[in-house]
Amino acid sequence: MNALAELLKGIRPEFDFTASSNFIADGMLDSFDMVTLVATLDKTYGISIEGVDIVPEHFQNLDTIASLLKKYGVAIA
Amino acid sequence: MGKLTGITCSSGSLNQMRMVRSMREVEDAVNQARNGAKEYCTNFFPNASKLEGWVGHGEMFCDEHEGTIFFLRRDSNFWHLFYCAASQPALQQNLASLPLLATDPVVMDVVGKKAELAGLTSLLKRSGFRHYQSLFRMTRLTAAAIPPTKMTPNTEIAIAGQRDCQPIHDLLVRTFDSRAEQIPPLYEIEAAVAAARIRVIRNAEKLAGLLFFETQGVSSLLRYWLVDPGFRAQGVGSALMRCYLAEQPSVRRFLLWVVASNSEAIKKYEHYGFNPDGLVDYVMANDKIRP
Repeated sequence: MNALAELLKGIRPEFDFTASSNFIADGMLDSFDMVTLVATLDKTYGISIEGVDIVPEHFQNLDTIASLLKKYGVAIA
Repeated sequence: MGKLTGITCSSGSLNQMRMVRSMREVEDAVNQARNGAKEYCTNFFPNASKLEGWVGHGEMFCDEHEGTIFFLRRDSNFWHLFYCAASQPALQQNLASLPLLATDPVVMDVVGKKAELAGLTSLLKRSGFRHYQSLFRMTRLTAAAIPPTKMTPNTEIAIAGQRDCQPIHDLLVRTFDSRAEQIPPLYEIEAAVAAARIRVIRNAEKLAGLLFFETQGVSSLLRYWLVDPGFRAQGVGSALMRCYLAEQPSVRRFLLWVVASNSEAIKKYEHYGFNPDGLVDYVMANDKIRP
């Protein structure tokens, strides 16, 4: 999870992503950040997240992002 | 010609478009466009409450094509065009079969990092759009101190009330370009007032200035900060901004969009600690929109 938190920190350095269970409701990620995050995840893990998966529910917190990555064969410790 | 409130549209276009009547319809249409899309692209990033207002007031229409869903939002005398496409080639192909573009004034916003938008804007230019206006986003992190002010207005800052709604709407319409700066309809201003998201300064019962914001958790979007021309250079704007920044102790990130050519406004925002964060919004217009 630390790797994911660091990756998110690279997008929004001002926030502590380990302290929130809902990044969107807490105002830490907006729609534009989500697009940046998808591109970053694609590049970092060599995957291509499909459009149907680019929904807020998958980007709510570290656990939901890890679950999404698992679907693409990426295991986050 | 079919006639809609405030905008005329060709009957052919209306036959192809259907009014969106529920949020579920929007969700289903977006999911349809996303399904199986490996190169999904969109300019549709609606705020849920805003979208509910558009749907509830009959302003949203949908035009479905293979690989692309277009949403059209009716504004005062033009349309905002949004797309959800399986890929950019699908978008280009389907723009060519959107009859509304040949008959009605249409604008669309494309948002992203400047370097990443070159291909998309070229595609839109090949589809009959031209660059109309550029905006960029500025961010202020809370580490920035609130600068001191030398002027103090002799009027109090108030939370806007229902009586302010129409004057706020009138001032926004008089001041901003609705094609590029997305003037909120009166019902949206009324909702913002009910949610205490607009601060005003009145002078002899006249609206001297306003600040309109949306706070979500630790982020706050400054939507409009405006002083009536008759009350400028009296500290009205400064008082509103300082009040806004001080009133949001839990906010870590303040955001706003500014027209790239508005150097006077940019200078003021920089004074309060805002800096460009790399996101740009190119407003593209078809040939029915006059420069």
